[in-house]
Amino acid sequence: MKETSNFSFYKDKFFLAASLISALSILLIIIGIIVSLFIESFDAIKAFGFFNFIFSTSWDYNEEIFGAGRALLGSILTSFIAIIIAAPMGIGMAVFIVEMCPSFLKGFISTAIELLAAIPSIIYGMWGLFIFAPFLENTLQKWVSGALGDVPVIGSFFQINYAGGIGLLTSGIVLSIMIVPFIASIAREALSRVPRELKESGYGLGAEKWETIRDVSLPYTKTAIWGGIIIALGRALGETMAIAYIIGNMNISLTSVFDPYVTVTSVLVNEFNEASGLQMSSLFFLALLLFVLNFLTLIAAKVYISRSR
Amino acid sequence: MENQVIEKEIEVNNLSFYYGDKLAVKNVTLDIEKNKITALIGPSGCGKTTLLRCFNRMHDLYKGNRYEGSIMFKDINILDKNVDMTNLRAEIGMVFQKPTPFPMSIFDNIAYGLRLRGIKNKTELQDRVENALKKAAIWNEVSDRLSTSAFGLSGGQQQRLSIARTLAPEPDVILFDEPTSALDPISTKKIEELMQELRGNITMLIVTHNMQQAARISDRTAFMYMGELIEEGPTDKMFTNPEKQMTEEYITGKFG
Amino acid sequence: MNYRFLRKIKGYIMLFLSALAAVIGVVLLFAILYKVIQTGMAGLNLALFTKDEAPAFMIGEGGMRHAFVGQIILTLVASVIGIPIGIFGGIYLSEYGSSSKLGRFISSLADVSISIPTIIIGTFIYSFLVKPLGGFNGWAGAVALAVILIPVIMRTTEESLKLIPWQLREAALALGTPYYKVIKDIILKSALTGIFTGVSLAIARVAGETAPLLFTSFNNKYLSANMSEPMPSLTVTIFQYAGSPYDNWIISAWASALVITVFILLTNIILKYIMKRRSF
Repeated sequence: MKETSNFSFYKDKFFLAASLISALSILLIIIGIIVSLFIESFDAIKAFGFFNFIFSTSWDYNEEIFGAGRALLGSILTSFIAIIIAAPMGIGMAVFIVEMCPSFLKGFISTAIELLAAIPSIIYGMWGLFIFAPFLENTLQKWVSGALGDVPVIGSFFQINYAGGIGLLTSGIVLSIMIVPFIASIAREALSRVPRELKESGYGLGAEKWETIRDVSLPYTKTAIWGGIIIALGRALGETMAIAYIIGNMNISLTSVFDPYVTVTSVLVNEFNEASGLQMSSLFFLALLLFVLNFLTLIAAKVYISRSR
Repeated sequence: MENQVIEKEIEVNNLSFYYGDKLAVKNVTLDIEKNKITALIGPSGCGKTTLLRCFNRMHDLYKGNRYEGSIMFKDINILDKNVDMTNLRAEIGMVFQKPTPFPMSIFDNIAYGLRLRGIKNKTELQDRVENALKKAAIWNEVSDRLSTSAFGLSGGQQQRLSIARTLAPEPDVILFDEPTSALDPISTKKIEELMQELRGNITMLIVTHNMQQAARISDRTAFMYMGELIEEGPTDKMFTNPEKQMTEEYITGKFG
Repeated sequence: MNYRFLRKIKGYIMLFLSALAAVIGVVLLFAILYKVIQTGMAGLNLALFTKDEAPAFMIGEGGMRHAFVGQIILTLVASVIGIPIGIFGGIYLSEYGSSSKLGRFISSLADVSISIPTIIIGTFIYSFLVKPLGGFNGWAGAVALAVILIPVIMRTTEESLKLIPWQLREAALALGTPYYKVIKDIILKSALTGIFTGVSLAIARVAGETAPLLFTSFNNKYLSANMSEPMPSLTVTIFQYAGSPYDNWIISAWASALVITVFILLTNIILKYIMKRRSF
């Protein structure tokens, strides 16, 4: 039992060091992002003030006055539209797959829904721009504006002011398609872990199938599903290429849900490569704000999930 | 305890073991007889597996564990900080509850421990692999498929393969941690026979829940309760005429 | 109508809506695929893969070979950087750091990093590898993709390794194996399927990324293997072509979109099949 060869000892240490350094790269990336975005946006923070920038709706190249107000509002609105559609749909998909689907179809349907998440963002953008936006323009938008457009007070929210079908609502709907597989798969996994005895005790009390799902299964999986929804919200906030095609990227004051608008990501895509000076710094500031918003959302999800355990 | 002199392989002196703050083995003093089978029995959570895992310092894998006292083996305290774990574990092997085939061929499973010790010569490897498989009474079943994956074997075969792998580096001591608890009766019988054949050449310690098994195969038995060693002695005496009342109660099934 | 009947009807409606949601999901997938295939097939020809960009007015003269080659180079270089860092990091999180505060912290951070908008990573790499170097370049694009790969690979490696029973590690250690060899010969090998599929899925994912390349490798009209120059990529080229006013470019964009979608979906289907059949 004498000392082993030093060779093996050093290899062991080397392996540990390589692993540790690789793991620390995550820390380096996060710190790198925060530091670089902060340094690059420093001029804009100095020129406009931190909070002033967040709430200012100005985006004026000539006067060189920039604010994040519209872009942030656009990102938040499109993401909320997406969540409002995707959350019930995702949960419904999961309920169908776990509780109702005949077993020979299960694999096919869950794979198909998962594959929706694998389609690249840019494909959603092209499909949204060339196919889905014109389709919505001729159907949903026409019906809604026909039905509600002339109603006093709220009517203006549902008027069609621009042709082409692209805009806030279309972006929200396409975003919802992109995030729904994520919510569906989290909900599916959670629902399939509900203990059988728990469900049986629901049926045992004379509850119908849906009542058992609503009163037993869904409450049991509440944490996982809410966590999944918050993470999906974070993803929606950062979605870029699809939005860049279909938001319309118009820096205007919003009057209708069908209006083209801007998001943080669409502004970045459209202006970053041609910007300089204060505009560039403002774009970095936008990126920083998006990063912070997204990061806080995800951390909120993590904390929520770990607390409820 | 009785005065009979035994040839000692391992000498445990005032051994205590802590999981963090929790004292799991309390001041155990015990001699392990050379080339015999010693069974560690006792109810769940009595510390018998914890004690077994002290002999090859398995606890060192996890943080916050602490030993007190000494375990003397070949005139060295194996609890000493300077002891090289790799070499210690070459001399004190271990067989686990569930079979643990490595993700490689049957041959490579056995050869793995040998290659670790620098044996590269092909004929020597082949000889020693064959030898280990024969000692573990599995050679006849696998000799024609040595290059196939070890996952293809049955549970009982995988466990004998694990024993063969432990035997290959020719350890002086083997620790068995409930080696048959995951096996069917026929496979269990084969493992017990195998242990009988190894007796005389190798010192064996076995942790078992099964008192009949302890009575059938072991030469000496140690009974533990709540982390303490209650009584130790020759197996026939322990099972027929134990000194402590608690031992008797446990052996006759009054608790545990 | 009694109360019980109402309950039943309400239940059926909710279950019907659930089924409808699932059907809508499947229909959407096939609607998108149908459009991509239908439009893409029209532009799918040999020239797409054998010719480089030609001016838009030269109809039928151009292809996207430069973009395919650029995409492959960028993805390869990103993999060479990202895979070892990701796997070693995953090894740390599972084998060394799983009980330490640092390990758990980094694991959570990696989890969060997976969802960082990729365009943010583009801006970050721009300020580190584009601005200081004086212009868009292939290295920046590859590093941006690698930064996306690393946390994904790290977490899937960690999860795959954690599925391996502890007893297997103990059995190897009990044989006197040094820890690095336990990991290298036994643990990594046992988790190979899981790690392989995780890595492949991650690569398939970055192969479809556009946003992080826009501000880093940007684009290039010419076939180029020079990593210090702007480098063409399929996704950025699709983005430019699809947004252009030229019909033949738009058709080429759809054709390339078809290629990339089929590649990514097939990879996903095959890997999910492998995952289902793995032992660990």
